Amino acid sequence: MPTEKIDKMNRRRFLKLSSMATAATSLLAPAQVMYGLEEADKVEGSSKQINVEKKFTLCDMCFNKCGIIATLENGVVKRFEPNPKFLKSRGMLCARGNAGLQRIYDPDRLKYPLLRNGKRGEGKWRRLTWDQALDLIAEKLQKIGDKYTRCGTLFMAGTDLQSKFIHRFAETYGSYNVISHESNCLVSRNRAFLDTFGEMPYPDVLNSKYIVMPGANRFEAIVTPDSIDLMTAIRNDCKLVVLDPRFTKTAALAQEWHAIKPGTDMAFFLAIAHVLIDEKLYDKDFVHNKTFGFEALTQHVKKYSPKWAEKECEIPAADISRIARELAKAAPAAMVYPGRRTSDFTDSTQIRRSMAIVNALLGNWDKPGGLTIGQKIKLGTIPSDPPFYEDNPEDRIEIGRSCMMFEEEGSFKHARDAVIEGKPYPVKGFITYKTNPMQTGANRDKTIKMINSLDFMVTIDITMSDTAWMADVVLPSQSYLERLDPYTTLQGISSGTCVATREPIIKPLFESKSALWIVSELAKRLDLADNFNFTMEQYREKQLEDLPDIRKAIKKDGVYNLTSSPYGAYQGKHFKTPSKKIEIFAQRYNNIKIDPLPVYKRPTKRPSGQFRMVVGRNAYNTQGSTTNNALLRQLAPENKLWLHPVPARKLGLKPDDEVWVTSSVGKERIRVRITKETREDTVYMATGFGVLSKGLSGIYGKGACIAELLEDKNDAISGNMAMHETFVKITRI
Amino acid sequence: MKEKGKRYAMFIDTSICFDCKSCMIACKVENNVSEGFWRNWVKHNAVDCECRTQFQPGQCMQCDDPSCVSACPVGATYKGKNGLVEIDADTCIGCGNCVTSCPYNARYRNPTLKIADKCDFCAHLVERGEDPACVQTCPTKVRVFGDLNDPASQISQILKNNDNVQVVNPLINTRPNIYYSKNTQLLLWPEEPTLPGGVHMSPDFWKAVKEGTR
Repeated sequence: MPTEKIDKMNRRRFLKLSSMATAATSLLAPAQVMYGLEEADKVEGSSKQINVEKKFTLCDMCFNKCGIIATLENGVVKRFEPNPKFLKSRGMLCARGNAGLQRIYDPDRLKYPLLRNGKRGEGKWRRLTWDQALDLIAEKLQKIGDKYTRCGTLFMAGTDLQSKFIHRFAETYGSYNVISHESNCLVSRNRAFLDTFGEMPYPDVLNSKYIVMPGANRFEAIVTPDSIDLMTAIRNDCKLVVLDPRFTKTAALAQEWHAIKPGTDMAFFLAIAHVLIDEKLYDKDFVHNKTFGFEALTQHVKKYSPKWAEKECEIPAADISRIARELAKAAPAAMVYPGRRTSDFTDSTQIRRSMAIVNALLGNWDKPGGLTIGQKIKLGTIPSDPPFYEDNPEDRIEIGRSCMMFEEEGSFKHARDAVIEGKPYPVKGFITYKTNPMQTGANRDKTIKMINSLDFMVTIDITMSDTAWMADVVLPSQSYLERLDPYTTLQGISSGTCVATREPIIKPLFESKSALWIVSELAKRLDLADNFNFTMEQYREKQLEDLPDIRKAIKKDGVYNLTSSPYGAYQGKHFKTPSKKIEIFAQRYNNIKIDPLPVYKRPTKRPSGQFRMVVGRNAYNTQGSTTNNALLRQLAPENKLWLHPVPARKLGLKPDDEVWVTSSVGKERIRVRITKETREDTVYMATGFGVLSKGLSGIYGKGACIAELLEDKNDAISGNMAMHETFVKITRI
Repeated sequence: MKEKGKRYAMFIDTSICFDCKSCMIACKVENNVSEGFWRNWVKHNAVDCECRTQFQPGQCMQCDDPSCVSACPVGATYKGKNGLVEIDADTCIGCGNCVTSCPYNARYRNPTLKIADKCDFCAHLVERGEDPACVQTCPTKVRVFGDLNDPASQISQILKNNDNVQVVNPLINTRPNIYYSKNTQLLLWPEEPTLPGGVHMSPDFWKAVKEGTR
């Protein structure tokens, strides 16, 4: 029987609201002091004061940068809450965001500059002072520059608010060889949509009534506000149709899921286009007035019938026809969701072209529930005025390897090949910032080969990632709670554009420094200080010089939201394309002899007894950067190979058995997760395990590394890595 | 005149949960939950890759008829003020009886402090006017937390509309104070509770316990 316990006051903690105000520790932070708390320990009769502060900042556990409020007790960060005013994140904070504490206070955090003191990858280090480290780096950059020209050093900066300063340094130093990680991610998507619509649109998920989602596992690969809006849309009678070889959480929550055969999405969407045209379901006015090349498309898709597509993608023809009709019925509040990561097949750009074309036929451009245009806010800047280097080569190293590579993103695969080959010219220096190609760049062997061919490599990071593990000099960066960052604009379409920033929440731990400081110091030593004659404070001042309203809003709410209507931007305007219309027929492609309309190419046949390997995400890890987090690894202590029960039985495997996974480029050991949530011919493992670095103490020795197994094929047009073209053998251990 | 106490409860809308596990990590951070243990969970009803899987977050149900309180030999756990089932850390002897007696498996034994532990609706946050961590962090705002003794509270309004169910163990109804949206599938995950010493009893036994005839 339940008994009522009398409320005894013993040594139990209790917290009492107190009217005591507490002072903010720093003038820099947009501090919001809320209240003070008093903790009483009755037995000892003493009273310990807890100084509580709340401060705004932006999360950094993935690229979304959700607005957060950090709670500090006596100067130590205790937790994060979502910033309810941050419209783009819909006032939420995911598992990784909450786990950010463990990134800041991680015992594995880099503390001071390190110099390699053994073989590359051996993990022996010697501590340097900052002066020693910077002097050495400057000396090496000078040497490499003299011997191989300034383009003899490759720079790779990840998605970060201070990456622009790494780029500025590369430009000032004189190297054109600057790449991002985006060529392991989305450049093929950007290419396809840019070449069709003239710009990359933002899908208005919130107001859509029918969404076909190929891949793009939104309930696990969180994109704000899309992931949250998707649930709201479904609640408001939006139908979600998921095409994915895996039964992901998104498939689980959709109304309809098809286990599409990997690599056949183009067949599906060409057949959709076929039905829309054949049954005259496309938006006739829109297509007539706003698109170019419809006649050519009509001829082109004649042979791509649902019956034909069924044989390719293993989705029944009747379903394909029905989905086309349902899309048309819901249009223009209907879409083929463009997705984000498209690093899958060697015709990835053309696959996304077929998706873009279907969107065009639905007439959903610039309409609620369709593809809309991000509003732009232009922030000020301190212009860059780099010197000119006469002896520099003509062009960057990847030139000519993929005909329509984005120069500002480059191609990791092509750059790596070029460095290994020493063609068109040698590159002997490599500087990385907040990026981990050892984990995410397919074919790890090649990355190791490339690094071993270098004279000098520097990595700037906050933990000893696998990439840092291979470097000559490792520099400790500041975590997101320690930084003063530039202001940034973020696009969220139906949540509007916003401007936000980071100001230090805590003092930088150990000897960590910001990227701007690091490159400014290097610039001084290389006589390039003229282009770095500003502080971060001055840069930020310039950014908001003409925008006082933004500054006020950020101070008060932690964010400035621009909430004007996201529709109508294209009222009376033409498209930024050669025809000034939506290019169903891509003239640019035609001019350089690439298929102007997507031509279906059957994916490579799977060798008997082997499996196609695909990659993907879950909601509590960000690729290769969060798996060692002390909180998140309690959810995922290792990765496992997803294998269907039928082939598992043939191989004599029981759940959690260990297997060797072998591809043409590598071999890894991993446990199996036997599940029906993947096709019989397809296997999957999460990213971020099988690490080489002993500096990731929580996960060292656990799981397998996708980069070790994946072959480095690439999308022909954009140079995007193609990570779903690898076949693997599985053998029991 | 004594002020009417609060009766805290939670409503969980399983139709909008997508199992991102923010609630689990937020709770862990807020309450310093021991490594390898959890105060809350997200279960699911997926069978053979059927669409419209339902994800069911849960934690201690702060029951009105708690079997854990009966199972405690020293009175260290009790139905306290504000409707919460509380644990007195000083009195708890760490025997683990309450852990197995819970029909929801909501309790665990803290390995370092060697006492029972479970969700307390973030009492320290609630006391200063905030919602529990799991409520605050959720991307789709699955959870509603509030006072059932306040008819104007959001949760009272929701329950008034009767669009809700309780997830109840078929062996024993401990009258949980977490309510779920009406389409939540039942009978999928409550655990079989045991008596002190891990003794399993027949369903009739639990029925008799409920009826007060044992």
